[in-house]
Amino acid sequence: MAAANQDTTRPQNTRSIMGFLQAHAPFSNMDDDHLAHFAEHATLRFYADGDVVLSAEDGIVNRFYVVKQGRIRGERHNEKAEKTETTFEISQGECFPLAAIIGERPTRTLHRATGDTFCLSIEQNTFVTLISESEPFRDFCLRGVSSLLDQVNQRIQTGAMASIGSSISLSTPLERYAHRNPIVCSPDLPIRKAVARMHENNVGSIVITDDSRHPTGIFTLRDLRTMIAEETCTLDSPVRQTMTKNPCCLRAHADAFDAAMLMAEHHFAHLCVVDEDNRLIGMVSERDLFSLQRVDLVNLARTIGTATHLRTLVSLRTDVSRLVDAMMAHGADSGQVVKIITTLNDVTVRRVLELNIKKNDPGIPFTWLTFGSEGRQEQTLLTDQDNGILFQTPEGMTEDQVREKLLPFARVVNDELAECGFTLCKGNIMASNPKLCLSDREWDDWFVRFIDASTPQNLVYSSIFLDMRAVFGPKEQLDELLDRVSTRVRKNALFQKMLAGNAFQRKPALTMFRNFRFVSEGKKHSLDLKRQGLAPFVEAVRVFALANGVKSANTLERMDELVEKEVFEAKDAAAWKDAYSLIQAIRMRSHQEMLERGEELSNYIDPDDLNQLDRRILRESFRQAQRLQQKLEVTYQL
Amino acid sequence: MLEQIRQWIERRRAGQTGNTAPENMPNPKTPGDQLLSECRLIVLDLETTGLHPAKDEVIAVGAVAIKGGAIDLSDQFDLILKRPELDITKTVLIHGIGPEALTQGHETEDALLFLLEWMNGDPVLAYHSAFDQKFLEKTLKAELGYTQNHTWMDVADILPAFFPDALTKGKGLDNWADHFGLEVSARHHAASDALATAELTLIALNKARKNGLKTLRELHDKLRYQRRLKDIHRI
Repeated sequence: MAAANQDTTRPQNTRSIMGFLQAHAPFSNMDDDHLAHFAEHATLRFYADGDVVLSAEDGIVNRFYVVKQGRIRGERHNEKAEKTETTFEISQGECFPLAAIIGERPTRTLHRATGDTFCLSIEQNTFVTLISESEPFRDFCLRGVSSLLDQVNQRIQTGAMASIGSSISLSTPLERYAHRNPIVCSPDLPIRKAVARMHENNVGSIVITDDSRHPTGIFTLRDLRTMIAEETCTLDSPVRQTMTKNPCCLRAHADAFDAAMLMAEHHFAHLCVVDEDNRLIGMVSERDLFSLQRVDLVNLARTIGTATHLRTLVSLRTDVSRLVDAMMAHGADSGQVVKIITTLNDVTVRRVLELNIKKNDPGIPFTWLTFGSEGRQEQTLLTDQDNGILFQTPEGMTEDQVREKLLPFARVVNDELAECGFTLCKGNIMASNPKLCLSDREWDDWFVRFIDASTPQNLVYSSIFLDMRAVFGPKEQLDELLDRVSTRVRKNALFQKMLAGNAFQRKPALTMFRNFRFVSEGKKHSLDLKRQGLAPFVEAVRVFALANGVKSANTLERMDELVEKEVFEAKDAAAWKDAYSLIQAIRMRSHQEMLERGEELSNYIDPDDLNQLDRRILRESFRQAQRLQQKLEVTYQL
Repeated sequence: MLEQIRQWIERRRAGQTGNTAPENMPNPKTPGDQLLSECRLIVLDLETTGLHPAKDEVIAVGAVAIKGGAIDLSDQFDLILKRPELDITKTVLIHGIGPEALTQGHETEDALLFLLEWMNGDPVLAYHSAFDQKFLEKTLKAELGYTQNHTWMDVADILPAFFPDALTKGKGLDNWADHFGLEVSARHHAASDALATAELTLIALNKARKNGLKTLRELHDKLRYQRRLKDIHRI
């Protein structure tokens, strides 16, 4: 009651404006008195669709604006392209122009209303008063929009964090985790003495170094166990006989994520940290990276990689989902998490293949290919199989004879992978399909037809076959094949243009009026984060990557390489990578939530279920996709 | 608001504000060549005990001012004159003002004098303004003996005059607010309704400017013409 009384001392309209402000950052963190100061000194203006709100001609900016209703778009004239580009968009609850009012200069961007728009604004002196008195407001204004992105990342982490309660960040440099002065010994030390030294220091591993402190091997308690069980040598033999040679090493500036990935890939629990001259300076164990045993990436990868039954592999899949939750809690960004998922999926696929070869070897060497999102290393928990086989026809055999042996084998593998949770591909893009179990020559022909005789139907497959990677078997043939494909695409301008036109069809989920555009089929009010959010990025980036000879298949890596090749501007690429990663993060968080509720995973979300901040982020991310498509449009004159 | 009135009353008692008798209040302005882009307009909404000016009374006055084509929130009026649930007919309680600051028995008079001074004789806009005009004029006459007439304009006329093709679901304030997607914070609260009415007025003034209307007189004339058209249609 006291609060209510206090409230009535402020006019209704002041209170309602305070209420409006409170729903948005940074105002949500500001004191009531500061909000009241804002509301009481504000002016409310109306701008019809297309009206100029602020422009360079207005001179030094003397008001600070908040959009109360409608939207403002920023326009800059692109002299080169002779046209006007929308550089940003400001929607309800957002502020402008931050840089100009703080820099006491005119704005460089024309601010124009989109739709019926109301803006609250305060004069510069009120702005200065608030900046000097309100810390959250000051932080926000001085840090600009970046703090908004920080907030989102923070939220994604704390959401997953709730179940884990720890705050180790995977992007922390390795030196923070590394044990300085690791226990070392020379290669000639008897095992007995090496174990005694480990025991004295209460550690599970010892690094074997040469005279100049270069690590040459590592000996762990597990090696000791194997040695005794298998009686390979005696305790008096020198440690070099039983150590693991050439231990994995990382530089001190690598981050914890790099270390975790390396460990997962090679199933090691220990890594040496070295300086520029390869001299040992520290030691990192899996346990150091994840002080909580629940986040057990390496162990999980190892368990998958050594499982002896399909049953075990199937049961391990739930651990993968739990791990993803934990990874997000530890500050892994969405790019890192999808790579982890891909790594674990690769391990699973390899193990299924190995188990089947053991059981029923087809007797012909082959390379297991993956396409699409797995090829791009962008898998999430919701994934289906897109795979194929590449083989070299042995002498004296025809290609069809090889297929006779490989196809039944592939059929079993496809089915077993399905049991592990990799849904069978509805389009039959699987290794057991005779059309996708081909020799290197046949693959070559296939791509010639695909690229030179590009039909619209063919283009549908571009998102699958142009993102290809070897998961199992020799990689050399695939590299050669990819080289030839790349050369062919670069020479064929028509194919590039058709590819670009196809990518251009993938419209981000925004209407002309910058509202969310919902999927038309069936589900009302829902967005497809994969098709309407990620695909526009993936497809457009692929066109640029193929046209410019970029080798990697991963979308983020492709963008990095495109910056190096000066196809993308660094600033643009950074915005696009952020946008892409944020959509991915929102998608993965929603997957985790669906799992928790025991629902079937889907890529659909209702934006109304998101909080206001995420909705804004999503809208801005979609707008970045539109910008990327604009670049496609200009480059290929679509 | 109350603080402002308290200070105003104190100034008046100290004789600092000159003669504040009703006859010395600012004179109402007639619609002339004042530029719409510059002049001050009052947008007002009353809360009353009922619909009949003859027997019902004003409970609350909410008003905002439009100046230079914008709503200036530092220039607003939001006052509850009477609390009907207390059923004290004559001793009007001005909620929250301590008795020591008031001239006993003259609370309503003081508040209305302050309102008149705040209005500054500027034209008054309201939604279905005839209603508010009757109530306010009746109250001003009864309490202060004030009989001068302000220029009143009806926002319910202004909107269809500038947006003849708008497909609103009805003719009410809510319909127009919905049409333009406005969020009204507390509907039927005088000040909140006044703000919504003022926001709609801004939209209409934006359109008026684009139609080449510049002065208050031009706006006033257009409304008179519009009203006449409507009357012809009615016949």
